[in-house]
Amino acid sequence: MLEGLFYLLVFPGLGFQITCGLAFEWVDRKLLARFQRRVGPRWYQPLADLIKLFSKEDLLPTGASDSIATILPLVSLAAVLTAGLYIPMAGFTPFSFEGDLIVILFLMSVPTLAYYLAGMASVGIYSILGGARSLLQYFSYEVPLLLALSGPAILSGSWSVADIMASQAELGPFILYQPVGFGLAVAGLIGKLKRDPLDIPKATSEVVAGSLTEFTGTKLAFWHLVMDVQAVVGIFLLINLYFGVPAVYSPWLAVLIFVGEALLMTFVLSATSAVFARLRIDQLAGLGWRILVPLGLAQLLFVIFMGV
Amino acid sequence: MTKTTIPIGPQHPLLKEPISLNIDISGEDVLGGSLRIGYVHRGIERLAQERTYVQNVHLIERICGICSHVHTTTYCYAVESLLGVEIPVRAQYIRALMCELERIHSHLLWFGILAKHVGLEMVFMHSWHNREIVLDIMEALSGGRVIHAANQIGGVRFDLDAEREAMVRNMLHKLEEQVGGVLDGIVHETSIRARTRGVAPITAEQIRQYCVVGPVARASGVDVDMRRDDPLPPYDRLDFNVITHQDGDAWARTMVRVEETRESLKLCEMILDQMPGGPVTTRVSRKVPAGETVVRSEAPRGEVFYYLRSVGSDHPARLKIRTPTLAALSLIPVQLSEIQVADIPVVLAGIDLCIACADR
Amino acid sequence: MNEETMLSKLKTVAGSEVVRLATVRNEVVFSIPVEKWVDVVSALVEDWGIYHLSAITLQQREESPEEIEVMYHFWHGLGVTFRLAVPVDRPELPSIIAIIPGADFYEREAAEMFGIVFKGREETPPLLLPDDWDQGPPLRRKETDD
Repeated sequence: MLEGLFYLLVFPGLGFQITCGLAFEWVDRKLLARFQRRVGPRWYQPLADLIKLFSKEDLLPTGASDSIATILPLVSLAAVLTAGLYIPMAGFTPFSFEGDLIVILFLMSVPTLAYYLAGMASVGIYSILGGARSLLQYFSYEVPLLLALSGPAILSGSWSVADIMASQAELGPFILYQPVGFGLAVAGLIGKLKRDPLDIPKATSEVVAGSLTEFTGTKLAFWHLVMDVQAVVGIFLLINLYFGVPAVYSPWLAVLIFVGEALLMTFVLSATSAVFARLRIDQLAGLGWRILVPLGLAQLLFVIFMGV
Repeated sequence: MTKTTIPIGPQHPLLKEPISLNIDISGEDVLGGSLRIGYVHRGIERLAQERTYVQNVHLIERICGICSHVHTTTYCYAVESLLGVEIPVRAQYIRALMCELERIHSHLLWFGILAKHVGLEMVFMHSWHNREIVLDIMEALSGGRVIHAANQIGGVRFDLDAEREAMVRNMLHKLEEQVGGVLDGIVHETSIRARTRGVAPITAEQIRQYCVVGPVARASGVDVDMRRDDPLPPYDRLDFNVITHQDGDAWARTMVRVEETRESLKLCEMILDQMPGGPVTTRVSRKVPAGETVVRSEAPRGEVFYYLRSVGSDHPARLKIRTPTLAALSLIPVQLSEIQVADIPVVLAGIDLCIACADR
Repeated sequence: MNEETMLSKLKTVAGSEVVRLATVRNEVVFSIPVEKWVDVVSALVEDWGIYHLSAITLQQREESPEEIEVMYHFWHGLGVTFRLAVPVDRPELPSIIAIIPGADFYEREAAEMFGIVFKGREETPPLLLPDDWDQGPPLRRKETDD
């Protein structure tokens, strides 16, 4: 029982994931700043921002539903934290079971729905626009993402992330067999995280801050955490599905490799953020259905034939 | 989908200065919009009548932050024409140098704003980094980064000695290299082009009907530039190209400004090469003889029009200013149909609003 | 088109006189009677290709405070200004926005700053002044002016 609580609250649960989330945010902001010839924040900045948000006044416009607005970020945070529990961290998995990949993907979609509902619940015009856009965006990136992530599952013959990760010890990292799938998965992750170039739902110059325009204080702090934890859970998922951690003698070496892979993914995400302008929603829809989905199908067929 | 109205302004992340746009949308399509200005109206024309000509130089400079020098240049030329004096040639060149530097500064600022609105912050940061070099040059010359107080009636307030001129040339070289990189990036970069190509095209006929000036007009093929058409000295002795494009969409407006920046950099070199020696100011009397005059010049955003009338005292009897943004604003409701919500920032950025100028 | 041709063409439309301003560069000024103004503008834009209106300047001269002088400044390779005059107690002008839509903002500013009433347009909402401005057209000459 105590062990269970430890797993839930410290590692690989709440404490660990939030710390990783804040660390990811720092690396991301620092990299982005360096790309832009700026200095970037100090290591404690994300934590300081979080603390500051918790101390701010909590307001909502008239007509917005306070109870819904409070529940949504909490439910989202619970969902992504739970999703993170099933992902092996450097090979260590207390909770995996057959089919947990599906559960993880389902849980990772909860924040998107919550984001949409948050927009509707906030009543302001920008919130509603942002919420509508987030759903439109969801329909464009989710299908390629699912197609791409099915690849490693089919190749390894299991729908459990831990098993997929383990099978890469003999077969080699799956990114070598499905680079296209990896690209699609990264694109899907960027869409899910609503990062540049797919930050359409929260495009500052168009919809001010999207669904979260009217959120302040503690609620916004929780949304912030949701974004960060979602990012690291997504990164860990992709690392496990496409890179794996090779079977090595020392577990500390495995940890080092895992951290290295995570940093590499972070770099990929930051670089794409820095280099591209934001897409328009119709451009994204065109891209998603005309290019990404066919590519995903092609990759999937390739994997199926390879498995045979 | 139902029709809703987005209020943009007076405060909005999109706007540097306050205007009020009410845009009707349905889903992601924009149906139209209406515009209100006047939030920064300070009554400059009335204030000018209550101040002396010399005090007005300081007043006019503060009409706008980005085109401050062009306003004072036009005003000083107007007063000097009523006084019947011609300022020393060296002063003419210094005025032109500051004008071209201001044009570069304005366009660099504009690239940043456009990039930020389409989500490409990197270009924003790099462009504004280069803008700092321009501001450093202006500070080295005049002592001020944004408000230079370079002009006075009868000439300019400062001179360049050989050492300072060498320093300015060095900084211009450095600027040319770095800006060249950013401009090439903007031209070849795909995502800015994807966001601006084909967006809100304006025909040459619309430009003529709405009397639009500046880069917006030139991007639709209307060949008008006051530096060439009605040149204040020394522009009649300088050799430069007037950039036009035919498409009239947001991409054309971007390209016009990119190439104008390059032209202005060349012009700065030319001005420094051609600048003769001599004094930089001449004595003028405080009382301006009676008369009226009209002066037009080319600000970074287009034609600036000044009408000045004097009745023989040291206060102007009437000063009328028409700034280029005022003409471009009437185009906004026209452009706000047949675009998407995501294009609104691109449309607003393309006009390069300078509301402080428009409101006066 | 040079001054002489312009003068003779204008006379065929409206009957007028030419006055030369003292300026840095040549700015030609013609005075036009108010009744003929719309015909002149139509001729300018449609027949002679002079379409660019730079500004509309209004003022009251000290020597004739009972009338408001309205100047329309055009640009066509050279500056051409048309001067009209309306009486202060009946400041009505025909609107030209049907021919030059770009004149809209300038007319609105003239209306709010000098109290001009523009005929031929539905409404002339204020452009720059705040909604609660109640002190009359601000740029008109007041008794306190010299």
